[in-house]
Amino acid sequence: MNNLNKTIFIATATILLGGVSISIVSANSARDAIIEGFVDEAGMEASAERGKILFESNIGDGKPDTPSCTTCHGATALKTGMTRAGKVIEPMAVSKNPERFIDLKKVSKWFRRNCKSVLGRECTPQEKADFLTYMKSK
Amino acid sequence: MTNLEKKLRVWDLPTRIFHWSLVAMVGIGLTTGFISPEWWMGIHIWAGYGTVLLVVFRLVWGIFGSEFSRIETFVFTPHEIIAHIRELIFLRPRHYIGHNPAGAMMIFALLFFLIAITVSGLLVLGGEENQGPLAGAANYRIGDMASEIHLVLAFILLTLIGLHIIGVFIETRLTSENLVKSMIDGYKIIPQGQSSPQPRPSRPMAAATFLLAFTILAGSVLWAFSTMPPSGIIQMSKNSDYTTECGDCHEVYHPSLLPKASWAKLMAGLEDHFGEDASIDQDLSVNIASYLEIYAAEAWDTEASNRFSRVSLKAPYQISATPYWQRKHNDIGDDVFRRAGVGGEAHCSSCHRDASIGHFDDQKIKIPVN
Ligand code: HEC
Ligand code: HEC
Ligand code: HEC
Repeated sequence: MNNLNKTIFIATATILLGGVSISIVSANSARDAIIEGFVDEAGMEASAERGKILFESNIGDGKPDTPSCTTCHGATALKTGMTRAGKVIEPMAVSKNPERFIDLKKVSKWFRRNCKSVLGRECTPQEKADFLTYMKSK
Repeated sequence: MTNLEKKLRVWDLPTRIFHWSLVAMVGIGLTTGFISPEWWMGIHIWAGYGTVLLVVFRLVWGIFGSEFSRIETFVFTPHEIIAHIRELIFLRPRHYIGHNPAGAMMIFALLFFLIAITVSGLLVLGGEENQGPLAGAANYRIGDMASEIHLVLAFILLTLIGLHIIGVFIETRLTSENLVKSMIDGYKIIPQGQSSPQPRPSRPMAAATFLLAFTILAGSVLWAFSTMPPSGIIQMSKNSDYTTECGDCHEVYHPSLLPKASWAKLMAGLEDHFGEDASIDQDLSVNIASYLEIYAAEAWDTEASNRFSRVSLKAPYQISATPYWQRKHNDIGDDVFRRAGVGGEAHCSSCHRDASIGHFDDQKIKIPVN
């Protein structure tokens, strides 16, 4: 490899790696900001433990076809799920899917819908903070 | 056969190849039309095109072929035909070197119905399925009518084939000459006392030239037809709000699959959408509703837009509840829809690989095996 090629290679690699890490960092900070917002609103610390229970337990207070978050999302945070209409849902765990929970509009929309479907009501800010903290830890 | 009888090669090679290719082609056409699964429709269509080519060839060979292949040699007067039938009734038919009058009538009938059945098939293909050279020329209504005619013609053809086979057997018995064998080796008997005719040879070059000219002519006419845009299919812009908001839980349904009124009802009831909350921000939902109104079934003339316009009264915006859908998927077991690879009745695109563009061509059906 001559020098020019080497320089170009190193420059490209740096830009690519830099780009990837910047987008991960910014995704992470966007997600942290969203969680922060819910924690502030709730006025208390979030708990991954409570988030796990919310996600995995069979609640059944909402629509009859959707008793639990795991009805559609996989049986665990790490698993792939499927909607009732046959579409695959990527895992919720951030380690499996770094794109998770980075758009407040999307997060709010799905909390609104899914909580109504499963709990029969909107989720509280505390439940949202717990849920997201759990998924972040996974 | 006694030694005194002479044999003559009556059916030239092209005629024999034609005959048995036609048997194969029509056999494939009838099998794929009547009994095989839908996704063999591609083969059915090719059998149709093959039949057209064979029939065209036979007509040309009927002018330029060797003596007994020529159509003029088996055009009989009504008098001769009646005489032959009378002889048949008395079980003493005269021996003909080429086709006998009954056989000749059968040939004309078969050729006529083969042409009719392929033309009506092309109309079904163009009108109902928006495919083939007549996709632009035939609208859905024409295709729908043609499909009923196509079916009737198929039954007539089946009957004629049955009669043809019975006729061959009867004549074989009565004249003690194996007609099937002569269609294989080409030889027929010249009975004692009958003078051996001087058959005219075929003119292959003339036939080839004529066939070439005809193919070019017919090809360009069909090509001209096929450049017409498929009728009833409109240009549709994509709407990213629709594809993202309505594509999260299931595939994005083509707007042509439901009429305006159904889409409007669906959009008005998103809080309780098939047992789920699918509510959407106000501005997005207004945008999506108007998109669906513009491109609803009324704007199209396809099989799906016509068929699904008759919705179920109980579930006016469920495509899979329409009477047509129910009828078409009646034979598919629940266990098939429960397969992971299928993902339920609403997951059209798992079996119909062209569902996203609003087409449901038979050739594009493939049911996931697990
Ligand atoms: C009826 C099926 C269904 C149920 C039940 C369900 N979800 Fe969801 N959820 C979805 C779908 C579909 C998506 C969007 C698909 C995607 O993002 O991959 C989604 C997305 C989400 C998102 C946004 C993800 C992101 O990347 O921003 C959150 C948060 C969420 N769900 C939380 C929950 C919670 C909490 C429960 C239980 C109270 C629950 N869901 C139950 C179907 C469901
Ligand atoms: C929260 C998830 C969700 C969202 C978002 C959603 N749907 Fe659905 N949709 C469903 C479910 C669940 C079914 C029922 C599927 C089944 O019966 O298997 C369904 C069924 C349908 C059907 C009937 C399918 C059939 O079986 O014939 C249509 C049409 C439809 N949806 C249109 C839409 C449109 C248009 C939108 C956007 C405005 C939309 N959906 C958004 C969950 C959703
Ligand atoms: C399990 C696989 C499967 C699913 C899922 C499925 N179909 Fe079908 N569909 C078939 C088969 C197989 C046929 C052919 C049945 C026949 O004609 O006898 C068919 C036939 C059709 C036809 C008639 C096609 C023609 O030219 O005859 C239409 C239209 C159609 N389906 C639409 C739909 C729509 C819309 C959906 C989703 C709401 C859907 N299908 C879901 C398997 C499926």
